[in-house]
Amino acid sequence: MTLNFILNGKNLSVETSPDRRVVDLLREDLGLSGTKECCGSGECGACTILVDGESRLSCLMLAAQLEGRTLLTIEGLASNGELHVVQQAFVEHGAVQCGFCTPGMVLATLDLLRRIPDPTREEVRRELSGNLCRCTGYQKIVDAVMAAARTLHGGMS
Amino acid sequence: MLGNKNMQNHEVREIGVIAPRIDALTKVTGAENFAADLYPEGFLWVGVKRSDFPHANILAIDGLAASKLTGVTAVLTHRDIKGSNRLGIFEKDQPILADKTVRHYGDAVALVVAESKAALAEALAAIRVEYELLPPVFDPEAALEASAPILHPTRPAGNVLIKSEIVCGDGAANLEKCAFQATVKIRTGWQEHAFLETQTGVAWMEEDGTLSMTVSTQTPFRDRLELAEALGISPAKIHVVAPCLGGGFGGKDGVTVQGFLALAAMHSGGRPVKIYYSREESILAGTKRHPLRAEYTVGCDQDGVLQTLSCRLLFDTGAYASLGSEVFALAMEHAGGPYRIPNVSILGSAVYTNNPVSSAFRGFGVPQAAAVMEQVIDELAKAGGFDPLELRRKNAVRRGDTSPTGVLLTQTTGILECLDQLERHPLWRQRTKWCESAPAFKRRGVGIATIYHSVGFGPAIADYANAKLEILTDGKFRVYAGVSDMGQGNASTYAQIAGHILCQPHEIMDLVLPDTARTLPSASSSASRTTFTYGNAMIGAAELLRDRIRARAALMISFQLLHSVPIEEIELLPGVARHLPSGRSVPLSLVATMMDASERTATYSYTCPVNNQPIASGENLRMHGFPHRVVTYGAQLVTVEVDTLTGETAVCDMLNCVDAGRVLNPQAYEQQVQGGAAQGLGYALFEEFAVADGRILTGDFSTYILPTALDVPDMVTEPVTPDEKDGPFGMKGVGEIGIDGVFPAIANAIADATGVRITAETMSAEKVLAALRQTGQEGRP
Amino acid sequence: MDVLFPRTLEELQKLRAETPGGLVMEGGTDLLVKIRKTGQKPTAIFCIERIAELQRLDVLDDEIVIGAAVTLQQLLECDTIKTELTALFEALSVLASPPVRHSATLVGNVCTASPAGDTLPPLYVFAAEVEISNTSGRRRQSIAEFITGPGKTTLQPDEIVTAVRVPRPVDGTHSVYYKVGKRKAMAIAVASMAARFEFGEAGAIKTIKMAWGSVGPTVVGAIGVEAYLAGGSLSVDCLREAGRLASAAVCPIDDVRASADYRRQVTGNLLLRLARDKRD
Repeated sequence: MTLNFILNGKNLSVETSPDRRVVDLLREDLGLSGTKECCGSGECGACTILVDGESRLSCLMLAAQLEGRTLLTIEGLASNGELHVVQQAFVEHGAVQCGFCTPGMVLATLDLLRRIPDPTREEVRRELSGNLCRCTGYQKIVDAVMAAARTLHGGMS
Repeated sequence: MLGNKNMQNHEVREIGVIAPRIDALTKVTGAENFAADLYPEGFLWVGVKRSDFPHANILAIDGLAASKLTGVTAVLTHRDIKGSNRLGIFEKDQPILADKTVRHYGDAVALVVAESKAALAEALAAIRVEYELLPPVFDPEAALEASAPILHPTRPAGNVLIKSEIVCGDGAANLEKCAFQATVKIRTGWQEHAFLETQTGVAWMEEDGTLSMTVSTQTPFRDRLELAEALGISPAKIHVVAPCLGGGFGGKDGVTVQGFLALAAMHSGGRPVKIYYSREESILAGTKRHPLRAEYTVGCDQDGVLQTLSCRLLFDTGAYASLGSEVFALAMEHAGGPYRIPNVSILGSAVYTNNPVSSAFRGFGVPQAAAVMEQVIDELAKAGGFDPLELRRKNAVRRGDTSPTGVLLTQTTGILECLDQLERHPLWRQRTKWCESAPAFKRRGVGIATIYHSVGFGPAIADYANAKLEILTDGKFRVYAGVSDMGQGNASTYAQIAGHILCQPHEIMDLVLPDTARTLPSASSSASRTTFTYGNAMIGAAELLRDRIRARAALMISFQLLHSVPIEEIELLPGVARHLPSGRSVPLSLVATMMDASERTATYSYTCPVNNQPIASGENLRMHGFPHRVVTYGAQLVTVEVDTLTGETAVCDMLNCVDAGRVLNPQAYEQQVQGGAAQGLGYALFEEFAVADGRILTGDFSTYILPTALDVPDMVTEPVTPDEKDGPFGMKGVGEIGIDGVFPAIANAIADATGVRITAETMSAEKVLAALRQTGQEGRP
Repeated sequence: MDVLFPRTLEELQKLRAETPGGLVMEGGTDLLVKIRKTGQKPTAIFCIERIAELQRLDVLDDEIVIGAAVTLQQLLECDTIKTELTALFEALSVLASPPVRHSATLVGNVCTASPAGDTLPPLYVFAAEVEISNTSGRRRQSIAEFITGPGKTTLQPDEIVTAVRVPRPVDGTHSVYYKVGKRKAMAIAVASMAARFEFGEAGAIKTIKMAWGSVGPTVVGAIGVEAYLAGGSLSVDCLREAGRLASAAVCPIDDVRASADYRRQVTGNLLLRLARDKRD
């Protein structure tokens, strides 16, 4: 089928099989390997993408579901080489170790801050609990999200 | 973005300052290419047919039907392997593809190379394997019995992979003289590494016949040798590249998919091949942390001075040796904890079973040994009426002491300072009050553990690294990191070290990750030695290059000044070399162009000093790493709240007081401690790895339970920082110490909260509730 | 495997008739996991996410109507659910994770009919009904009758659940959902309990309705427990005895997550949380 959707700000039209998993479409067909696959069954959050601004798991979505939607993957977040505030906070606060959970974690954070602009640490932990990280113990991720929230919400730290 | 730089002192202060990692930038934008992310032009998928039984002889493998299916390029078996078809370090007992016998469910029997994942799945299902069943053995104690089926019949010692005894002083005989004694019998279970990037890689044949692979591995240089022998090809014809790993933790210490990739690439008609395990296959085929069964008795005198330790340890290494002997040796060496105990008897063995293969996992045997030792210490404190912290302090080793296993501690020994830090902390000081204010239907407890962890490979295997550093003609620098970065950020730290010595900001340096064609041979990313060893090598290389640059700059400036300029008068500054007396500078780009290519690259080889003291017992452990020289220490505290209605345990606080020497980058240091502690928390409470008759019951992430962000508390990390002369800038190595004491600290906290000790594996809610029921505390408000 | 997006129920029924062996997909968070696990693909998937009438989330005077395409996240953002169907709200907030809740639907959770489904015990205590459409019309059935076993419902091949209808409770109704899992988040319930009650004069329990999850082939109710507690109070002693009755009423199994014994024990113990929460 021919699939039309907006990917990282650009209109896209691709030929694909309708039952292709979105994670495969992105990684194998479109060369966007920033979206990771780690469990394939919705248990880890590594393949998180934003569909119409909401976090979704690309391993549990079929290509055909993207028709007419607006999709943001990790590759589309920085603009003109400028890191997004959340990305910058992840870098500065040491929230990145092996980095395999990072793209999903960053996008889940975007979704979280959209819904809860000024979260508590507990809320950050709750909202990111679907994104597993095996390296950090989560603390520096929470630090980074709190800092990003301050920057985005308060305009200052 | 960087930490403070004191430019007035003509110095870029890189060491000791919080420095975000170089790789964070590419990882946070999705630009970093992991091995999993490579899809070479025209590649084929590789898949593995696994065993149907835990123990069986293979009578026939019929891949004909599979090979005729559309989209199938090749079906391969052991017959396609020209070499020894044996992997392993000391004990080369593991086939790439099973030939005569399968010994666990994860054993690989055949390979398929195919155009698509669908064709792969169809072909794997179409392969017919005929087996003759053999009696299996799953219980490590049963494996020792005379009637037990033998996994590797050619071995003289039957199912015993390794057995050893360490005896110091009067051994166990001294127990009867002790005023107080305590005994515990504990079992610990398997633990799954659960790195988020499963085992994966790509490979292809170069035109000159070189086998080239990019793979998620902690051991690119060792892999070449292991593969060459198993496949019967020259190591010089194998090229391995190790990009950033999506986690390793020991589970990629050695060959995982490399043998499959190599074999497939040799039979793919010249096309690249890719393998990428599903989570289920990763759990099925990957190695685990060794389960341990142990019985410990300790005794002390009237004043709480430890006198005697008598213990037995039995490790289940599963179907193959892998790094089982080395894990065993480290566990034996650390079996007695960081204490002065004059009379010691430690008897241990590791045995083969038809269970999943156990091997390296962060901590490398020490978390298991500490899990038992630190619980029996608490029991002794109870028996003698001692404060658990005081008892530990009284017996903690000082520099110059010998450890319980007879190892002379010649290097920095910060355990007392760690205990001091812990004692000063409010979490310890206010523990009684905190516990007493538990809410309804909850019990609170506080537990501690004292730990130590040796750095490096020990005396027999060279703990070496070869650093390589280049100044480019644009005046920038390139660091060739020969040791895999599995997420620790060691590659970034190498640049930081170079930056410190060359007075250049490290974040603009170019990093070349391990590549057997470009970086120099270095040992694995493991053993808390990754930064220690390569860091020392990098100091050597950076100083060499610095002085070459200074010498060339001195020459250039002397032509301007028309008098000779001693090299000592030249300082490097960001982007320039400056003659301090005259204030004249030359850009590094100019200096670099005035250097020959052979001068622009500096290399330096470093091998760690070893502990050569004679060892009275446990001599057969020497070749597997016993004894060590440099040791890290720690004291960990955990507070828990136990639910009397459900048995659920919540960890409320964690305090990690760690002596890993000087801190090169506080952020990277905390990352290691926090990450290790979180894995310890999972190990203690959630990560129940269930195996029944050799079959894994927790084969995916819905059944193997990892801690989420809600399950791990904010932690406090308090570094103790003695200046370790062996280490680069006084550091030791912080990769493993953070995990070592968490299991026993949680166990001690639960015992404090409930009065009950869980002695079998994970301290799940179910076990805690059963214990509460036994003591009549279930459901108490 | 074709993936089709009917725009109306009629179109869906027509497509289903034309494509035997196809399956209806709500959020897909169970179905796609199952397809991956078994390797068995249906002939087609009918995605209902773009059928307008299944997207309704209507708060009516007497009931709340939740269309089959409404996601769990939408429900979490509905104030009436939070304030009036607190137990359901609490169940939704501990069901999987935010990205899953952006896909998954309540109807999907109901049709999966897992004994561990988080939303089921609350739907039982609120006496929810499923609304079913078939080629000859519509029918309604109580959730307790609709779910007949693990993964089993009364849904016929030509039928689709179009909505869940939950009666709005009377003022003064309290409800809770308690879940025991293997960790604090992303947990599959090892045992769970929903309770709905009203207090009468002097704090006595006027009405109470309870249901337990993960302790039987379907959600388990226990009239005996409710009868015991009615007219009584949420005292520790009273709840402890009621817990004993509940433990006896459930029929759990052993699996990799927990033993039957543990589940039975916890079933009873969870009642005592009512006493804890009353204090708070």
